[in-house]
Amino acid sequence: MAMIRKKAIIVAAASILLLGVTACSGGNNGGNAGNKGNAEGNAGSTNANAPADSGQREPYKIEVLSQLANFAGEQGGWYGKIIKDKFGLEANITAPNLAGGAAKFATLMASGDLGDLVIFGNDGQEYRDAIKAGLLLDWTKDGLLEKYGKDILANVPEAIEKNKKNFGEGAAVYGIGHDASNMPPGPSEGNTMTYQLDMRWDLYQKLGSPKLTKMEDILPLLKQMQELEPKSDSGRPTYGFSMWADWDGNYMTLAKQFATMHGYDIGDGFNQGSLLEIAAHEDKYQGILDENSYYLRTLKLYYDANQMGLMDPDSLTQKFDDVVNKFKDGQVLFSWFPWLDSSYNIPEHTDAGKGFQMVGFEEQKIYSYGFSPYGSNRIWAIGAKAKNPERILEYINWLYTPEGMMATANGPEGLTWEMKDGKAVLTDFGKQALKDNSVQVPEEFGGGTYKDGGPKFNNSTLKPSSINPNTNEPYDWNMWTSVLQDNPNPVDKSWREATGALTPKDLLVKNGQIALNTPISTTEAPAVMDSMLSQKLSQVGAIIKEQSWKMVFAKNDAEYDKLKNEMIEKAKGLGYDEIIDWQVEQTEKVFALRNK
Amino acid sequence: MHNSIQAQAGVKTDAGKRQPFHIKGKYALFLMALPFLALVFVFSYLPLYGWIYAFYNFRPGIPLAVSDFVGLQWFKSIFSNPTQTGEVLRVMRNTVAMSSLGIAASVLPVVFAIFLSEMRSARFKKTVQIVTTLPNFISWVLVYSFAFMLFAVDNGLVNQILIKLGFIDAGINFLASDSHTWLKMALWDLWKGLGWGAILYMAAIAGIDQELYEAAKVDGASRFRSIWHITVPGIMPTYFVLLLLTIANFINNGLEQYFVFQNAINKDQIEVLDLYVYNVGLLGSNFSFATAVSMLKSFISVGLLFFANSLSKIVRGESII
Amino acid sequence: MHKRLSAGDRAFHTVNYFVFAVIALLCIFPFYYLFINTISNNDLSSRGLITFFPREIHFSNYAQVLHIPGFGHAGLVSLGRTVIGTALTVGGAAFLGFLFTKQEMWGRKFWYRFIIVTMYFNAGIIPWYVTMLNLNLTNNFLAYILPAIVSPFFVILVKTFVESLPAALQESAQIDGAGYWTIFTRIVFPLITPILATIAIFSAVGQWNSFTDTLFLMTDQNLYTLQFVLYKYMNEASSLAAIVRNSSGGQGLDLANLQTPTSIRTTVSMIVVFPILLVYPYFQRFFVKGILIGAVKG
Repeated sequence: MAMIRKKAIIVAAASILLLGVTACSGGNNGGNAGNKGNAEGNAGSTNANAPADSGQREPYKIEVLSQLANFAGEQGGWYGKIIKDKFGLEANITAPNLAGGAAKFATLMASGDLGDLVIFGNDGQEYRDAIKAGLLLDWTKDGLLEKYGKDILANVPEAIEKNKKNFGEGAAVYGIGHDASNMPPGPSEGNTMTYQLDMRWDLYQKLGSPKLTKMEDILPLLKQMQELEPKSDSGRPTYGFSMWADWDGNYMTLAKQFATMHGYDIGDGFNQGSLLEIAAHEDKYQGILDENSYYLRTLKLYYDANQMGLMDPDSLTQKFDDVVNKFKDGQVLFSWFPWLDSSYNIPEHTDAGKGFQMVGFEEQKIYSYGFSPYGSNRIWAIGAKAKNPERILEYINWLYTPEGMMATANGPEGLTWEMKDGKAVLTDFGKQALKDNSVQVPEEFGGGTYKDGGPKFNNSTLKPSSINPNTNEPYDWNMWTSVLQDNPNPVDKSWREATGALTPKDLLVKNGQIALNTPISTTEAPAVMDSMLSQKLSQVGAIIKEQSWKMVFAKNDAEYDKLKNEMIEKAKGLGYDEIIDWQVEQTEKVFALRNK
Repeated sequence: MHNSIQAQAGVKTDAGKRQPFHIKGKYALFLMALPFLALVFVFSYLPLYGWIYAFYNFRPGIPLAVSDFVGLQWFKSIFSNPTQTGEVLRVMRNTVAMSSLGIAASVLPVVFAIFLSEMRSARFKKTVQIVTTLPNFISWVLVYSFAFMLFAVDNGLVNQILIKLGFIDAGINFLASDSHTWLKMALWDLWKGLGWGAILYMAAIAGIDQELYEAAKVDGASRFRSIWHITVPGIMPTYFVLLLLTIANFINNGLEQYFVFQNAINKDQIEVLDLYVYNVGLLGSNFSFATAVSMLKSFISVGLLFFANSLSKIVRGESII
Repeated sequence: MHKRLSAGDRAFHTVNYFVFAVIALLCIFPFYYLFINTISNNDLSSRGLITFFPREIHFSNYAQVLHIPGFGHAGLVSLGRTVIGTALTVGGAAFLGFLFTKQEMWGRKFWYRFIIVTMYFNAGIIPWYVTMLNLNLTNNFLAYILPAIVSPFFVILVKTFVESLPAALQESAQIDGAGYWTIFTRIVFPLITPILATIAIFSAVGQWNSFTDTLFLMTDQNLYTLQFVLYKYMNEASSLAAIVRNSSGGQGLDLANLQTPTSIRTTVSMIVVFPILLVYPYFQRFFVKGILIGAVKG
């Protein structure tokens, strides 16, 4: 009780902190094969800027503000060496994501200088405010773009056009979106989709690989799996589902996943999304509280799972990290995300034939974000006060070339990969380093561990799954044929034999079970709610989240129904319909454009 | 006790000698304080110009001249419709409950300090003091992971023990429960703050004239008599000052503790004003709304401060600030 | 003192010892628990298999933190701001608190309240930042010090403490013709050491633990504080969720290889608390023993 003053400070500090945690809930329609995990800040990570043979260019120190980075400080290591040798750039990264969040960004806005290279997590309000406040450079000024951005203009001209039309009143260019691609329309994901229905493959096979028709069919199957394997590695009970609430935004995040398995996502991939499930493959939408919504159907599924003893009772109170640990231990039998499988699919398990793989169900239509020539919503921009903007643009331009893509996504040529018979293949070092990031990089390539030396800006340029014209294979090393066919683990092997496909994406494409979103082009900027409406959204969202979790853990049907009615009533009282109306208006426009 | 000393001193003062000193001191004292007052003005009052943002649709970086003036919109938005008013009332109920518990618990550090100071072994005293301040240094996030390890249904230590002892058959979900939420939060807060809060009272006790105890002993006063007649009056000024400040902070419960412990089941009880504002407002980084709320809170706090001060004047006959 | 304890006294002490031992245990166990988890095998600890005793002891978590680039320099900056900041805070609070006990000060009540109410003001992060920017206090060590000089809470504590001292001491000095400064340094200051020690602890811990000012005001790495460096490091580990969200599809993301944030968070809190524990006993001696007014008088 005594620390009154301290409390006041804590309130201020905590709100700043918490903003940081939640700052990144923008659009999700991207993929990025470049810089992944960076959990360890290992020793020896800074011996990077060895001046070896960088005499070609005069060093240019740039301040990088990246809303996507999970690292702050000097970019070093092998990637630091590449950009230093090639462009003379020495980058110092500020990462609001890591410290300060929206408040940190806001103070930089207030100071009138965002830095030299600015990376926005989405093209929403903050990007537009920065343009309005005159803090971003117009790339068309002094013919910069024509002179230094030739490859961007050649490879993804529509991405520039889009930015001009949407944000530059048809004349100015303030930035370019990520994940642009000059590929024909098609699913843009890698080997696996963003969302899938994955389960313990070994148990599924032991149970005779029963056919699943609709999503509810997984429940009896999971029950059988649980009976087959009641205990985890360390002797703890197993569950069908183990969930976490700490990622929730305006609804229970994990209750959206079955919508995406039916071709619906919350949001249309262009405008700000809120509470509307929108189909990728047909002109349909529904509010998440509509009687027939996938959201409510999923809540019912989770409720039934809990009644059957398939739901981890700690789901309400544990955090994401706890769930990862439970996956590692084998306490969980079902996964919505292929990347989550990796925490269980370690050699110790897979060598014993145990592991997660896609099981799928007959009615599924997996949402695919699709290749887009316009690029997506994470923005590369240049600060208005940059001293040598042309040198930064030159670097961004390089990122949109095959050479820049290969280096950023797969490491330095000659170290991790090399060209063989017109194809890129991994070197022995690459096989090791790309799978276990803590491998030491030789001094002449920059030193440090592979992970610490990776690109830390954490934004992509071209879609990594698009085809590299020099190799006729995707940029992403995970998708190279030579890698896919190189000694698959027993679980993958068994899956391939059973399905006759190389990767889950291939199988879904073959079965026509993909709902492909069509990118749109318009002269209007993506719609963003005004602050009054967003406020209503977060109030409605708070109710929906709370009630949804309560419904999952309701004691009986009567309580479930009561909670559901309460949720709908309260949400409507706080302005749910207003939000849906706004969203429907935007969505109708998108549908009209999609069908053009 | 020291009233008598003051009275004695008063007798000694010579009014004639004091007067000139007074006049000379009037401005000298002020001038000595002036540099400090200037610092306060610069660091605490100057930034208050930012309160004007509450009346605009303010976006950082964009000059107010080109921002929309919205008047009292953000203030009104707190009570814009019946459902919302209901929410705010629920939140205020929690705030009042938690703050009241906090005020009730505020005597515990006093008791803690008094009894600790009665310990005979200096080493024991010191050790207890250090050890009990430790929880203060553990962040709430870590406190929660510790709490989760103790109380999880699946593997929680407490549930495991209870099951082994045969008290229960299946794990109890302590963390996701809506019973006694206020009390549980108060207990966590107490655990974290007890030792740290007692430091102030240890200092106050150390400031009491030892001669008073010696004299009491000579008079044959028992331990509890001298605690009651010497120690307690000795630390009361400190206690009342802190109480006053706590009352002024009635609506500022802070956020971190409630944030880490909140979940769908206990949210109805755990959502205090600060958490509510965070949950519904700051998530969208709406700076104008945040400013409006913190402005309101400032006014209420300062109001409470002076209210409690007048109360003290009426009840105890002296004002605290 | 050397009298034999009465039965009542003995009972009192037994209960007292017992209660305090229980409280101490409740406080130390979590700390102990967190500590053994930092020195146990990370995999075991992330699975929650460490409860009472450490297993497969190692110190690599600590070694890793100590190897963070800039750790040493940041430690010095933290030390600097803690020592200088605390000294000024204590000095400021002591002097100002003393001044406000003087009834004859011009506008005393007003100015006292002028300071106190600022405890409840919160202008928001942006106006604060802009003010600091205009005062040239970004990338400036003084930003750690200047705002801390006047701390209303500490001023109140000192004023209350001084007022509880016998007034006779100061008055007799006044009669002897001593000025305010002399009274303050010679008479008041020595008597208020218990409260000053308390303030020193509070302020030092505050300075040592503070990182938001670094976060918003400093881009120069030479001014980074230890807490800030550790905070960044901790978040690099904790932003697992952010990493996953940012790379939707999470291709190539190897969750199995990611270090558990809890072990890092715990290690960092241990490292931060350690110096506090070292310094704390030093301050304790100022308030475990009561003052003897008589001794000062004589």
